Amino acid sequence: MSDLDRWIEQLKRCEPLAEKDVKVLCEKALEVLVEESNVQRVDAPVTICGDIHGQFFDLMELFKVGGDCPQTNYLFMGDFVDRGFYSVETFLLLLALKVRYPDRITLIRGNHESRQITQVYGFYDECLRKYGSVNVWRCCTDIFDYLSLSALIDNRIFCVHGGLSPAVSTLDQIRMIDRKQEVPHDGAMCDLLWSDPEDIEGWGLSPRGAGYLFGGDVCTNFNHTNKIELICRAHQLVTEGYKWMFNEQLVTVWSAPNYCYRCGNVAAILELDEHLNKSFMVFEAAPQDVRGVPAKKAAPDYFL
Amino acid sequence: MEDSKGDDGLYPIAVLIDELKNEDVALRLNSVRRLSTIALALGEERTRRELIPFVSESNDDEDEVLLALAEELGRFIPYVGGPEYGHILLSPLESLCTVEETVVRDRAVQSLAAIASELPIKSVSEYFLPLVKRLAGGEWFTSRISCCGLLPVAHRVSIQESEHQELRGLYRVLSQDDTPMVRRAAAQNLSGMAETVEQQVLSQEICPIFIKLTQDDQDSVRLLAVQCCGPLARALSKSECLTSVVPVVQRFAQDKSWRVRYNVAQQLYMLCAALGAESSRTEIVPPFLKLLRDSEAEVRVAAASKVASISNLLDADTVIRVVLPCVKVLAADSSQYVRSALAAVVMEMAPALGKSATIEHLLPVFLSLLKDDVPDVNQVIGIDLLGESLMPAIENLADDNHWRVRLAIIKYIPLLATQLGADVFQQQLGQQCMRWLEDQVFCIREAATQNLQKLAAEFGPEWAKEHIVPQVLAMVNNSHYFHILRQRQGA
Repeated sequence: MSDLDRWIEQLKRCEPLAEKDVKVLCEKALEVLVEESNVQRVDAPVTICGDIHGQFFDLMELFKVGGDCPQTNYLFMGDFVDRGFYSVETFLLLLALKVRYPDRITLIRGNHESRQITQVYGFYDECLRKYGSVNVWRCCTDIFDYLSLSALIDNRIFCVHGGLSPAVSTLDQIRMIDRKQEVPHDGAMCDLLWSDPEDIEGWGLSPRGAGYLFGGDVCTNFNHTNKIELICRAHQLVTEGYKWMFNEQLVTVWSAPNYCYRCGNVAAILELDEHLNKSFMVFEAAPQDVRGVPAKKAAPDYFL
Repeated sequence: MEDSKGDDGLYPIAVLIDELKNEDVALRLNSVRRLSTIALALGEERTRRELIPFVSESNDDEDEVLLALAEELGRFIPYVGGPEYGHILLSPLESLCTVEETVVRDRAVQSLAAIASELPIKSVSEYFLPLVKRLAGGEWFTSRISCCGLLPVAHRVSIQESEHQELRGLYRVLSQDDTPMVRRAAAQNLSGMAETVEQQVLSQEICPIFIKLTQDDQDSVRLLAVQCCGPLARALSKSECLTSVVPVVQRFAQDKSWRVRYNVAQQLYMLCAALGAESSRTEIVPPFLKLLRDSEAEVRVAAASKVASISNLLDADTVIRVVLPCVKVLAADSSQYVRSALAAVVMEMAPALGKSATIEHLLPVFLSLLKDDVPDVNQVIGIDLLGESLMPAIENLADDNHWRVRLAIIKYIPLLATQLGADVFQQQLGQQCMRWLEDQVFCIREAATQNLQKLAAEFGPEWAKEHIVPQVLAMVNNSHYFHILRQRQGA
């Protein structure tokens, strides 16, 4: 069994890797990710997943419902870390799978895959607590810079963490971005990771302080211009797990059940078969008895 | 066969009559068994005048002959000329009611009851009721015991209120007889009395007798009185039941005699049925739980065998909260008879529990019993029982909305397959096993595939070729890639 397979087994048991192994893994991951496009081509069939946020045992639940990687192809639309108790294990498992099966799993960047955000919302603290230093955090955040920004499935479905940007009207404009950097405070790259769809016309200011709100007309134009039929994104909690908008031109997929262990929402993943037929699979949080030992620490104040 | 009307035909009858007096018991017995043939040959007139007086004198015969006689006489009305001559038969039976041997007396009482039900009302007052009174006043306890057995039917066939009162008076006296045997007989016939009297009389006259009997210092009397709890509860109104029967049951559940406690356990179901879920929960469940944890295995057997029927009369919450923990303990009882009794009924609890509790609590109990080391226990769960009680539960849960429920069920399938055998399995669960292959949830499909592999290993390649391969091949044509994926795993 190779180191990689061993690490995957270890991570599936929710045991973090040793610091030196994380370093090796990240080096290998970098070699894979650097080759990927800002608009990574993905072939159907594939199962699309939204935010995970360090909810490791719910990710295991996701695999139970959707199938194991590599038997099932996956596309994760970012926000692997922060808020949940197991950001380290969650991200490293997904990363190890990416390195082991590069054609079977696609990871794109979410707004939480950022040095600034993870220092506020938990990933930094978790690394410090689990490793006694910030070295692992540094390795991971360096990898974040190499994650692709979006994906395009069979040239028909565009997947991105947040949404659209007024600076971007064609996919080629996204392909031009130099993504290997910390998420900037504004501009196209920032917007793709931060924007939200809203029932307005045109563009609006985002209450998040980054990215924009965009209306149905913006979505229609973008889809028409780029000859795509659907935008698939994550970024916003939807209690039913998924939510259609703009006449089924856009869908939000959310994959963190009972978000922050308290929201009571269900989660969903979107299965696309080889003909791009869609079926949503809704699932609930893992039951208490498969979660292992509950975290002893009280929830820190960055919770919601 | 020879024609019995001819002169030659009468010869065998003459032999039978002779044999009634023969010294050989076997021949006398044979003759008594053919008493109706003799009567037919003699005709009604001579039967009344000669045969009945003759058999009336023979009650110092062997018990075996007397028993046969008591039985024959009970069916004799047609041979003496119909119901209006029925009273002719009372006298020989009356003397049989006084003999030492219990089975003869009981038989005679049965026959008397049958005849009394056919007698015209005039004969009842003229002949039957005086007979009952004579027995009640009998010197020897045997006649008084027989009288107890006749009182319910006497009460039923008589019509005058004065007669009723007199009969109930006799019953009251007998229920306080000095001899415990008579009191036992009174207790035994209490539910019979309860059934024949009106509601008001029941609560005013019979209930006090019942209470008195339940306080008897002989446990053999008490335990017979216990058996009236159920029938009484059914006959009384709910409030009377609560005030007069329930306290008795609660007291009896703690009786120092285990035989009394055993009988209480048998009565609780009827009591629950009469009281309804709410009162049962507060009044009956506590003594029931006590009996389930009784120190005597026999009592636990009796209680365990009622656990499903009683649970189904209670609300789910109570069953899950208080009954189930006891059931789990019983499943590991040190007595195999307790485990057997539980095994026979445990799946019938499923309706009372609902889905998730059935999976979580009941199936593990059921399957642990199925795997019991003692063959007597697991044989109780035969194929019939599996089919009747487990299959409906399985079918119900196999399509549950929650995938964890479906997964839990699939895991039990190979074990069930072993128990059911290939044919029954294919018939009951074959289609379901195939449907799981197309489940929306990955790990159900995965478990379904592993399940089929285990089944194929269990039932052999021939079975797999016939039942699995064709259906799986049909699915390959299905365009959905998840299914194809699964074929690969299963190959």
